[in-house]
Amino acid sequence: MHYPEPISKLIDSFMKLPGIGPKTAVRLAFFVLDMREDDVLDFGRALVNAKRNLIYCSTCFHITDRDPCMICDNSSRDRTTICVVHDSKDVIAMEKMKDYQGMYHVLHGSISPIEGVGPEDIKIAELLQRLADDTVQEIILATDPNIEGEATAMYIARLLKPTGIKVTRIAHGLPVGGDLEYADEVTLSKALEGRREI
Amino acid sequence: MYIEELSIKNYRNYETTNVTFENKVNVFLGENAQGKTNIMEAIYVLALAKSHRTPRDKELIYWDKEYAKIEGRVHKKNGPIRLNLVISGKGKKAKVNSLEQRRLTDYIGALNVVMFAPEDLNLVKGSPQVRRRFIDMEIGQVNPVYLHYLSQYQKILAQRNSLLRTMQRSRSEEQRVMLDILTEQMIESAARVTEKRHSYMKLLQQWAEPVHHGISRGLEKLEVIYKPTIDVCEEQELSKMIEAYKEKFVKMKDREIERGTSMFGPHRDDLLFFVNGRDVQTYGSQGQQRTTALSVKLAEIDLIHAEVGEYPILLLDDVLSELDDYRQSHLLNTIQGKVQTFVTTTSVEGIHHETLEKAATYQVANGTIERLR
Repeated sequence: MHYPEPISKLIDSFMKLPGIGPKTAVRLAFFVLDMREDDVLDFGRALVNAKRNLIYCSTCFHITDRDPCMICDNSSRDRTTICVVHDSKDVIAMEKMKDYQGMYHVLHGSISPIEGVGPEDIKIAELLQRLADDTVQEIILATDPNIEGEATAMYIARLLKPTGIKVTRIAHGLPVGGDLEYADEVTLSKALEGRREI
Repeated sequence: MYIEELSIKNYRNYETTNVTFENKVNVFLGENAQGKTNIMEAIYVLALAKSHRTPRDKELIYWDKEYAKIEGRVHKKNGPIRLNLVISGKGKKAKVNSLEQRRLTDYIGALNVVMFAPEDLNLVKGSPQVRRRFIDMEIGQVNPVYLHYLSQYQKILAQRNSLLRTMQRSRSEEQRVMLDILTEQMIESAARVTEKRHSYMKLLQQWAEPVHHGISRGLEKLEVIYKPTIDVCEEQELSKMIEAYKEKFVKMKDREIERGTSMFGPHRDDLLFFVNGRDVQTYGSQGQQRTTALSVKLAEIDLIHAEVGEYPILLLDDVLSELDDYRQSHLLNTIQGKVQTFVTTTSVEGIHHETLEKAATYQVANGTIERLR
């Protein structure tokens, strides 16, 4: 069965998205054909605008539609603390919490020699530049708790040591609201390691 | 524990098969290339989610099919459990009592097996890699956290080796700092792996010595010695191992950069076997090497029993005929009445033992299994 070219092109485009295989792509493509024309136009415009109008903030490298971004531009935020994360999705996760009032720095990757990603390939130098004056007093390393994230955190911590700025690493441990009995052994042993006096 | 029922679908040369087993010796009879080893492998994979013959899971799936499925009903002390393992191009899915296990390390260990196949006769004289794989499979079954530390270690090792390779050609200050960090990460997980290997191999030695004494008619004293790349003493603590690794890595840093690879750590470990004080690998006879391999495998049965509280399942793939009469009957005496055993052979002639005469027998022909008696 051959599809008319416009449809096959659409199917092909959907398949470029993550998590979408041939069957889902066909289903989505045919769904689009049944949509109202206005909705389709809006959809197309939204796609193009997201790509065209979004840039990276020149200070923290979070995605934004204006530079500096809303977070960097917000004068009520605490400029003495920078939370360092792997990508923009992490900033959004942190912001959902609404508890953190400091600034961010998005690295856009983690150091991984296997993939040929060295310290110079992620936004570490840019982070150091932000520390030139004495405003920043604490760096919170919130990279992922996997091997690459851990190595990246250790690398930054080592670079910052001579500056005397306080460097902290977010804790690992049990999820809140979870049951102790369902935690896996590794998480439990990490939680035990990081226990504190109350 | 024992397997009561096994169903396999699209596995190697089996399309759909369902067999029930008894808690004694089960013999698979059949000509070559009919699927005897495949059924043994299926039981092994059901237990360890990994084949002993190939690292490529795709080979386990019947030609042209999307997935392979192995299901087993296992009788355990605390009641029966159902295991279900599906292997597809996308990976593996494992269920215990219909409950999907998020990680394979949560699944491995529900069913314990000890496999003795012709390849295992290589345990002594083969390369260190064979012995490391043996160590990992054994500890992993009784201590699943070990597998986590091991995979952690392997990931760090891969990163570190990749960095060392680039540093061999040219090195910058950043790379030196990065190497220190990866070394620090590696030491931590290396020490954890070494600690577990050290303590389990000591246990294995304790079980293997009396077994070997029996098989050799009281003539030989077997010693199993774990040989990591750092010096360890009898009572070893994690913190001391970390110190020992640190010292080693600091001292050898330049040589590692020169060679472009990690020269120390669990990936270079070995296991040594001594009989009456002499290294079996170098000085042992063919027979001694076989007896040693057999002793170690039988010791594993006892080790698992001691750690888990139940006897594992023994898989003897084509090895009964490789052993002489005395070793055969020693083996069969050891398992008699306590270990569910699966045996493959082309014929039972020439093997006269009570255990085998009472065994359940199955005919394997062209991807089908039929109970004979």
